[in-house]
Amino acid sequence: MRPWGTWTVAAAALATTALGACDSGSGRAACPAGKLCLERGNVADPLTLDPLKSTTIGEQHILGDMFTALVQYDAKGEPIPGIATAWETSPDGLTWTFHLRESKWSDGAPLTADDFVFAMQRLMDPKFASEYAYILYFVQNAEAVNGGKLPLTAVGVDAPDPRTFRIHLTHPVPYLLRVATHTAMYPIPRHMVEKYGDHWTDPAHWVSNGAYVIKTWVLGDRIHAERNPYFYDAKSVCIDEVNFYPGADAISAERRVRRGEIDYNWDIQSNRISYLRQPGQIPDFVHVRTWLGTVYIPFNPNAVPAFKDIRVRQALTMAIDRDFVAGKLMRGGQLPAYTLVPPGIASYPGSVPPHWAGWSFERRMSEAKRLMAEAGYTPEHPLKFELKMRNTNDPQLIYPAIQADWRSIGAVASLYPEESQIAYADYSARNFQAADVGWIADYNDPLTFLYLMKSTTGPQNYSDYKNPAYDALLDKADHDVDLTERGLDLAKAEHLGMEDATVAPVYFYVSKDLVNPKLTGWQENLPDWHLSRYMCFAGHKPPG
Amino acid sequence: MLQFLFRRLLVAIPTMFIVVTLAFFMMRAAPGSPFVNERRLSPEVERNVMAKYGMDKPLVVQYATYVGGVLRGDLGPSLKYKDKSVLKIISEGFPHSLFIGGMAMTLAALVGVTLGVVGALRQNRPADYTAMGVAVLGVCIPTFVTAPLLVLLFASTLGILPTAGWPAATQPLSSAWRYFVMPVVVLSLPQIAIISRLTRAGMIEVLRSNYVRTARAKGLPEHSVVLRHALRGAILPLVSYLGPATAGVITGSLVVEQIFQLPGIGRAFVSSALQRDYTVVMGVVILYAGLILFLNLVADILYAALDPRVRLS
Repeated sequence: MRPWGTWTVAAAALATTALGACDSGSGRAACPAGKLCLERGNVADPLTLDPLKSTTIGEQHILGDMFTALVQYDAKGEPIPGIATAWETSPDGLTWTFHLRESKWSDGAPLTADDFVFAMQRLMDPKFASEYAYILYFVQNAEAVNGGKLPLTAVGVDAPDPRTFRIHLTHPVPYLLRVATHTAMYPIPRHMVEKYGDHWTDPAHWVSNGAYVIKTWVLGDRIHAERNPYFYDAKSVCIDEVNFYPGADAISAERRVRRGEIDYNWDIQSNRISYLRQPGQIPDFVHVRTWLGTVYIPFNPNAVPAFKDIRVRQALTMAIDRDFVAGKLMRGGQLPAYTLVPPGIASYPGSVPPHWAGWSFERRMSEAKRLMAEAGYTPEHPLKFELKMRNTNDPQLIYPAIQADWRSIGAVASLYPEESQIAYADYSARNFQAADVGWIADYNDPLTFLYLMKSTTGPQNYSDYKNPAYDALLDKADHDVDLTERGLDLAKAEHLGMEDATVAPVYFYVSKDLVNPKLTGWQENLPDWHLSRYMCFAGHKPPG
Repeated sequence: MLQFLFRRLLVAIPTMFIVVTLAFFMMRAAPGSPFVNERRLSPEVERNVMAKYGMDKPLVVQYATYVGGVLRGDLGPSLKYKDKSVLKIISEGFPHSLFIGGMAMTLAALVGVTLGVVGALRQNRPADYTAMGVAVLGVCIPTFVTAPLLVLLFASTLGILPTAGWPAATQPLSSAWRYFVMPVVVLSLPQIAIISRLTRAGMIEVLRSNYVRTARAKGLPEHSVVLRHALRGAILPLVSYLGPATAGVITGSLVVEQIFQLPGIGRAFVSSALQRDYTVVMGVVILYAGLILFLNLVADILYAALDPRVRLS
């Protein structure tokens, strides 16, 4: 049986030679000679590439690179002119006029104001069923059109000439420029939609107007995009090709960034942050800062009748050790949340937390126990329900702790992890009892959070909160001319909502970016919005 | 032989039909719905969406429409990935799973049979214990442990293999192969264990049989006895195992695809089942059932080729 031994030795020798022979083994995707390629970790595959249907952050990172709206974020996260070079508001604040630059779609077709009008009509089309139509309900007739009560052409936008786009509003919207950065206000290539219908987003014949265009998309693998020669500012763009990789596992993404396989990933597992910041690790890769986002638990009263009882909701909301969750489990600079609106948001006097927020945790726990007992639940006869959660790293860290807090007041929550997109789909369908929600602001204004509890919001009002006083305050704020008064009204509404406790805020997000320092032009910013067109690699510069 | 193939095909048709029917109604019986985001919209919008996917009709009509579509080769649109059809998702994902799974099964068969033969020939001696020990370890340690360990060693520490991912289409094979090494090895480890145990057991039995004794008595050299005569009989149980096992491995593994971020259909299958993407689940079930039927047929033909006592009639 000698041959076996010889074979083993030969195979081992061969394997060693082969491995030793490989020059780098870096695992970085092949990049054409002379080109600069950016590898972006993007956490999940997009559910759609249609900006008007888009709902996830991953989609918005991709689409932000592919499209330019009226205004856009600069590298610091502030709105700057995009396709619109100038704009003015009528004295009553109800009409905005945008003057568009001369620009083209990536197939060379001219981009006109009509593409913006078309996009707005499509967004409001009831058959199109966009989840984000509601954020533009302040456009005249938009809500009626979206409800099927008026024809599409009734939407309050028009194009007096190909380079002028006008928006007519139902009430003044001083924060319109911040909303205008959202994907729901992107232009859509009318000529492509008329040709291909809903399939216009197929990468095989992709057309957009931003710095890059999508070339291929393989589910689970990557989205590959290349420079758009027709982009109006193409000369300022340094990087030629961009790959977006899905990959929910933050640890795996971290390894890939460390090895230089990926240049930038917009997620770090929170409990790794202090480790990565140690000298000898990769402290210069880690960028953590406050973000406009809140993690909260909505209770679904239609699935669990006990959640109709305010005592139960308040007890569950009180009995969460937020200092432990934020300070000991997350450890990334996250702040404990007693309100929905995060600190630092624009045009807001600040949140008024519920009355018990200042109590010690011990006092809150004993009060929670009392409330639960009053409602008929004790640790011996607990309230049982299911908490559906995202299966990403951070939720899996914190919910077992919250579960334990709740158990001691007489509530047994079984945890049910699901892939993020599936979890959110379930929440929208009310296919949950209690849920783990992370909400990131759509734009820098408290309304983007407070809207979530308005009774007319629909799918995203996960706990189906309906409080006429809350709704009335939000409606009043919409018509406030004075920004300070508007802020005060919104804060009053938030306080009402927090006392009603149909949602339990847990902590405020921080943005957690892992960025290779070789990548230049990447800047920390409040919206955590980073366009590839501003980035470059050390030692290189854009052609223009 | 032709008659045999024809008969098997005739049996396959009702089998597939039953699989499709069962899967269709089981999927629909599961709680939840794919049109989750639309549910809270106005009734006229909901009607529009349901009508678009034909879900406003009675279940039996939907079933008939679906089976009709399948017969025409149309598996419908994905209900979750709004821009993709089921055929597109499968045709994008399956080749990746097939490639990785195929390599893993080939590796597993080569290594497993070798270990099994060595074990049988050196029965109850150190070589046997070593080979079988390695094999048992392979089946005991789950892939979600072996995968990160290998990544830690070969990617993060030694830096000779990529951490995860699939090579770009433009990547030359001379460097692309490095992406496949760890997923293939991780997938093959449990298979190696099973295959080597099956081979060892079969081999031990065959080595004691009369025809092997006859071969030895003829004075044939030992390697000829083992490789040409004994092995052929010993791998018969293996052949019947390999059919369904291959079908399972080449349709993708959730764990391996997740850790190595591979664009296979294992992940797509699990996530679509969880979120009621009915059409994708049905598509993958049909693919899986078809593969099992086909590979079992291949196993039967191989059986006949290997064992002269078996006649395909």
